[in-house]
Amino acid sequence: MGMSTGRGAPGRTTMSEINVTPMVDVMLVLLIIFMVTAPLIQQGVKVNLPETKAAPVESTDKKLVVSIDANKKVFIGEAEVQLADLEEKLKANAKAQKDKELYLHADRDLPYGIVVDVMAAAQRAGVTNVGMITDPMGAGRTSKEDKKKK
Amino acid sequence: MSRLAFVVLAFPSFALAQQKVIEISGANFRPMPLAVAAPMTQDDAAKKVAAEFDSALVYDFSACGLFQVLERKGYLADAKEGVTAGSIAFNRWSDVGAEALVKTQLSTEGDTIRADLRLFAVGAGREELKVSEVAPAKNLRRLAHKLANAVYRFYTRETGPFETRIAWSRKSQQGRDVYVADWDGKNAQRITSDSVNVLPALLPGGVAFTSYRQKKPFLFVSRGGGEPTLLLAKGAMVTGAAFSHDGKRLAVSVSEGENAEIFVANADGSDAKKVTDTKFFLNTSPTWSPDGKKLAFVSNRAGNPQIYVMGADGLGVKRLTFQGNYNTTPAWSPRGDVIAFTARDERNAFDLFTVNVDSGKIVRLTQDAANNEEPAFSPSGRLILFTSTRTGARQLHVMTVDGNNQLALPVDKGDYATPDWAE
Repeated sequence: MGMSTGRGAPGRTTMSEINVTPMVDVMLVLLIIFMVTAPLIQQGVKVNLPETKAAPVESTDKKLVVSIDANKKVFIGEAEVQLADLEEKLKANAKAQKDKELYLHADRDLPYGIVVDVMAAAQRAGVTNVGMITDPMGAGRTSKEDKKKK
Repeated sequence: MSRLAFVVLAFPSFALAQQKVIEISGANFRPMPLAVAAPMTQDDAAKKVAAEFDSALVYDFSACGLFQVLERKGYLADAKEGVTAGSIAFNRWSDVGAEALVKTQLSTEGDTIRADLRLFAVGAGREELKVSEVAPAKNLRRLAHKLANAVYRFYTRETGPFETRIAWSRKSQQGRDVYVADWDGKNAQRITSDSVNVLPALLPGGVAFTSYRQKKPFLFVSRGGGEPTLLLAKGAMVTGAAFSHDGKRLAVSVSEGENAEIFVANADGSDAKKVTDTKFFLNTSPTWSPDGKKLAFVSNRAGNPQIYVMGADGLGVKRLTFQGNYNTTPAWSPRGDVIAFTARDERNAFDLFTVNVDSGKIVRLTQDAANNEEPAFSPSGRLILFTSTRTGARQLHVMTVDGNNQLALPVDKGDYATPDWAE
């Protein structure tokens, strides 16, 4: 990369040009660094979304939610149903049969077994898409509480 | 029915502007999901009749083709939920997929039953309609029909089929008998009690049918359920009577030996004129166009039975069906556009089809459900009553004109044939 003209004897000629080679090298390195870090920067931005406890905005096609509370009571929407009746209730539910989907909203302290029972009942009733409603805010809290218990 | 006191307490005219009108015909039609809550009763006497009232109301909504009545097993609402918009948890109803909700209350007032019906829009959480009817306890089902009609009219601005009459011929010990009943087959009245009586045709205030009661099969009429009298005696046999929609004229098929010809007469049987003259062929099962200007009928003049159309004077005969080799029992829709008929398909099963009168386009209505025969249109032309052997015996069924929502009438098992349907 001999772009400089300083080939003559030292001291005899003055350098009248800027040596761009190191500058280009540095710029290329910087460019590469920015290219690599740019996506990382976007991912890493921490935005504090507003926290809310209000019900979400009701869309025109409201999804069917089956919830299980800490006392193992099962609800379709807000109506309590017996676990034994759940399959029949869902079979006769036009909304569940049409959409073939429901969202499961279960208390995190519940035993795995009852959640599986509910999912199995939904499956037997022909509701093949069961979504799990999760609560990202509670994730940290859970681990803390778990530590406390220990 | 005239004994029914008809009281409309309130009709919310303010809701009319934004009211949802259901367009029944067309490819985009989808039955409206309707929840019908079990009736609430105010006293013991009302409690006794609630089940019968309820079954009539649920059948009406299920069979009229407008609604998808949601299964009551799936309902999530509290059993003690009230009947006013403020006391109803509408999200529990929307969770079962309901778009509309019907709530009824029954109470007794002396010898009569009073029924209140409220219709709610579930999405909007609003009361749409409130109707009250009072009727003697023995007219309980008709009370339900009137209320169902109010709901039907609210959505379609049309009168529903609930207060129409049907007739059929049913096998009995000694032959066949003719019955006239409400649209759901209930309140059936047996018109004949001996001999063989077939092919009923309803006319205003009565029913005509072919009967062997005087040895030869001639046309008889019973008015107001009374003793049948002779209407038309001609040739060797008079069958397949059909009255024009204005009730003034009568078309029949008269057998005269080898052949059978169509005759058109006045409704009282007078002035019978032969309108087909084929000498060697059979011409049967006439059915009138709504304007009374044309007749469709079956003829085997081309070698096998096919549907033909002609003017009521017998001129301008045109073959309408060219598919299949056995097309019979035409019924001209009161809307005029199509003719429903029975056809034997390539698997030797009998099924129902419609043929467009102008274009000749054929649409299949039934398939893979044993034999389906003998269509009869509802007075509005929205529904078709027919017989089907899908349950084993030949039973009465109803469906929409495009073949959807096929449902058996809630009548006891038996051998039902040749239904007819009229106002």
